[in-house]
Amino acid sequence: MTAASTPTARVLLDRLAAIVGPEAVLNDPAELLVYECDGYVVEKKCPDVVVFPISTEQVAAIVKVCNEFDVPFVPRGAGTSLAGGCLPIGGGVMIALTQMKQILEINLRDRYAVVEPGLVNVHLTQQLKGTGYHYAPDPSSQGACTIGGNFATNSGGPHTLKYGVTVNHILGVEVVMPDGSVVTLGGPTEDVPGYDLTGLFVGSEGTLGICTKVTVRLTRDPAAFRTMLGVFETIDDATQTISNIIGAGIVPAALELMDQGIVSALEQAFHFGFPLDAGAVLLIEVDGLEVAVEEEAQKIISICHTTGAREVRQANTPKERQLLWKCRKQAFGAIGRLSPSYCTQDGVVPRTKLPEILRFITACSLKHDIRIVNVFHAGDGNIHPILLFDERDADQVRRVLEASDEILTKCIDLGGSVTGEHGIGVEKISFMNKLFTADDLAVMQQIHDCFNPTSRCSPGKMLPTSAGCGNEHVPRATPGRRAAM
Amino acid sequence: METFTPATQTELARFIAGNAGGPRRGLYPAGGRTALTVGSAGGAVNTLIDTTTLNRVVDYPARDMTVTVEAGIRIDDLQAILKEQGQRLPIDIAQSSRATLGGAIATNTSGPRRAGYGTFRDYVIGISAIDAAGRLFKGGGRVVKNVAGYDICKLLVGSQGTLAVISQVTLKLRPLPETSALLWLTFDTFGEVENALERLLVSDARPVAVEVLNAACARLISTQSRLELPAESPVLLLGVEGSPHEVDWQIEKLRREMVPYGVQLFEKVAATQTAGLWDALTEFPTSADEPATFQANLRPSRAMEFAQRATELGVAVQVHATTGIVIGQCPESVATIEQTTELLAELRQLACSASGNLSILHCDAEWQAVLPMWGAAEPGWPLMAQIKRKLDPHWVFNPVRFGDVSSPVESSGSRIESQKD
Repeated sequence: MTAASTPTARVLLDRLAAIVGPEAVLNDPAELLVYECDGYVVEKKCPDVVVFPISTEQVAAIVKVCNEFDVPFVPRGAGTSLAGGCLPIGGGVMIALTQMKQILEINLRDRYAVVEPGLVNVHLTQQLKGTGYHYAPDPSSQGACTIGGNFATNSGGPHTLKYGVTVNHILGVEVVMPDGSVVTLGGPTEDVPGYDLTGLFVGSEGTLGICTKVTVRLTRDPAAFRTMLGVFETIDDATQTISNIIGAGIVPAALELMDQGIVSALEQAFHFGFPLDAGAVLLIEVDGLEVAVEEEAQKIISICHTTGAREVRQANTPKERQLLWKCRKQAFGAIGRLSPSYCTQDGVVPRTKLPEILRFITACSLKHDIRIVNVFHAGDGNIHPILLFDERDADQVRRVLEASDEILTKCIDLGGSVTGEHGIGVEKISFMNKLFTADDLAVMQQIHDCFNPTSRCSPGKMLPTSAGCGNEHVPRATPGRRAAM
Repeated sequence: METFTPATQTELARFIAGNAGGPRRGLYPAGGRTALTVGSAGGAVNTLIDTTTLNRVVDYPARDMTVTVEAGIRIDDLQAILKEQGQRLPIDIAQSSRATLGGAIATNTSGPRRAGYGTFRDYVIGISAIDAAGRLFKGGGRVVKNVAGYDICKLLVGSQGTLAVISQVTLKLRPLPETSALLWLTFDTFGEVENALERLLVSDARPVAVEVLNAACARLISTQSRLELPAESPVLLLGVEGSPHEVDWQIEKLRREMVPYGVQLFEKVAATQTAGLWDALTEFPTSADEPATFQANLRPSRAMEFAQRATELGVAVQVHATTGIVIGQCPESVATIEQTTELLAELRQLACSASGNLSILHCDAEWQAVLPMWGAAEPGWPLMAQIKRKLDPHWVFNPVRFGDVSSPVESSGSRIESQKD
């Protein structure tokens, strides 16, 4: 993309302004700075222009103009991506969906809602309060992230073991395809004849098109909850407890594990009264019928004690439940006092391999002299090691990347994945060759080329752009992929 | 038609690669042959691929609640292995002693428990398959949370053997509940049932099955399961599972909630007959050979209206009421292809007016080439055809089956245009 002052660029800007109105076009460099990165702060690249459409027709028109001018474009929601999903590789037009944030329909009889992509996740569930239904996928960032972003990354959160991930709650979608055509996939009914294209598009990280309306499934509220917090000497005790809970035939609604590093940060910040030398704290929640959760809670407490829990706290009121959850929800806030910068990793291992990966992370931390604390969705093996550093120190940055790479590679070795919920984005493209064979990637590339042959839509995301000579993993020399092309 | 029975996934890949480089016969993946819609067009120049020897358990880490198996494993065999660990795949699959996992996934088979547990797209977390060029490819992985790459699992679930041969699957599992119970409620009219269904939306209980049967279906089901319960009017069946305590509590709750809604009879099915009734409900989609069995998908709020009309036309219907899926067996009186076409056209139009569609599960082999098996054209079909052309450019897999959607050469064929509302 040429600099914003060239004649072609001016024509493009005028065309965009004609679609969305001049006030919905941002191209002042100072204003664009806000959009230079998302939650993945180690890579920055400014788009050439950001536009704020308010309708499907506008989005389609913008895409057509981008095609006409051979300019790349990338959709963006709230920019909470932790993998560089919103990074505008090659510059171009950033299509911000944040002004399309309406709830278009709530249908309780048929149990669905139709929403625009810029709707903040938690707003939907807030709107449903009192109906007996909610929108199940609740990533930790749900106070900021958007449904469209959730759609693009197949977001998870703490409740996925029992309730599934975003794709399990999407019935249909309206998509502006990379060529600017508009298509409706799926719908308010289930089992729509034909391929599950809705399912294919969820998690496609913006590479197959831009969603402009999403039909989501509504989930019946659980009747009751029991929330407990177990304090353990060691992480191994905590993970053994998890294993025993599953072995007892209980599927908890949430199982969140926090290690000593996080616990001490939380204590300093919020004084929950946790022992600072506890190896791990495990937040356990079961939901369901009142009669069922009471039985399950008793079993769980007994299991905790058998594996040597120092103490087990139990919430007896909704307020106490909120308090127990607070320590999990404030975890990332508490990290701020530990270091100026942090990098949240997102890996997955089979649950039974949790002790092993955690031991590996500890060893990694020592090896690279980088402090790592752990908070994660233990129920489904989704780990979030948080690497603490100062981004002004180039050597620390290098060690963070090395440690991250080693951890993710170990996840693969243990039979897991390099991303449980944040997506491949830009950050993990180099891992695709380790997770998938050349044939696997060839099929994915074919699917990509079916709908996005020019790669103008979200270039440089998710798939390695070259087939690669051999499949060797090339360690990154600079933070992440090159952001400027 | 010839049959090829590979002993390993590698052998299968090699065979398909050889076919791609050579004769390019039509290939028809087959498992237990319980849901085959093979079609007779093409005849002897095609090859049936029998997957039933690919039936090994690859990995079963029970504490992870996942299992990886080859796709030719029979459903009953899989469930028996899982049961030893107190686990199950909570999807009801007809003819489970014959049906294979790959076939069930390719046809997206489901049954009464979909209300409480969902369908295959909620359980397939990893998949390996062989494409038309003989390439073995995979998507997903062995872990329940994984967003790396495109969701190939979703693409292949329900793809009806038209994109690839599914060779290996990783499933997410659930614990086996201690017990289950079925409640048989009779009503006078579908209107009354609709009111009851609305009440159930906010029931304190959490039934895992909510089935509505018209009298014709109820008679078939009660005969099949040797029940002696009234089947002269619409029947609402509620299934509950869990600990005995949970189950009993829910039964009492449901009794109290349903009483004001015109229930004629509220009967808990005897424990000795419950399993048989679950089976009968599961088998209904495959229990009739002729003339045709269909599946309609529509808004749950319109399902009773649809059931009413279908009843008037002599169709035996089973409604999965929470999801708006209707299974219908056409009456034997509808004997010719013309009559079948007319009946299905009317019901399809009704389904389309309820934001849905109607596809055919089983019919005479000769009719398959003529009837719209996949229903009225969906907006996504052109995209579907694009994927098909990309991944199977020579139309090798199940060529007849894809006929509704598109032909190798771009043409509208005999598709029915969508009348969706």
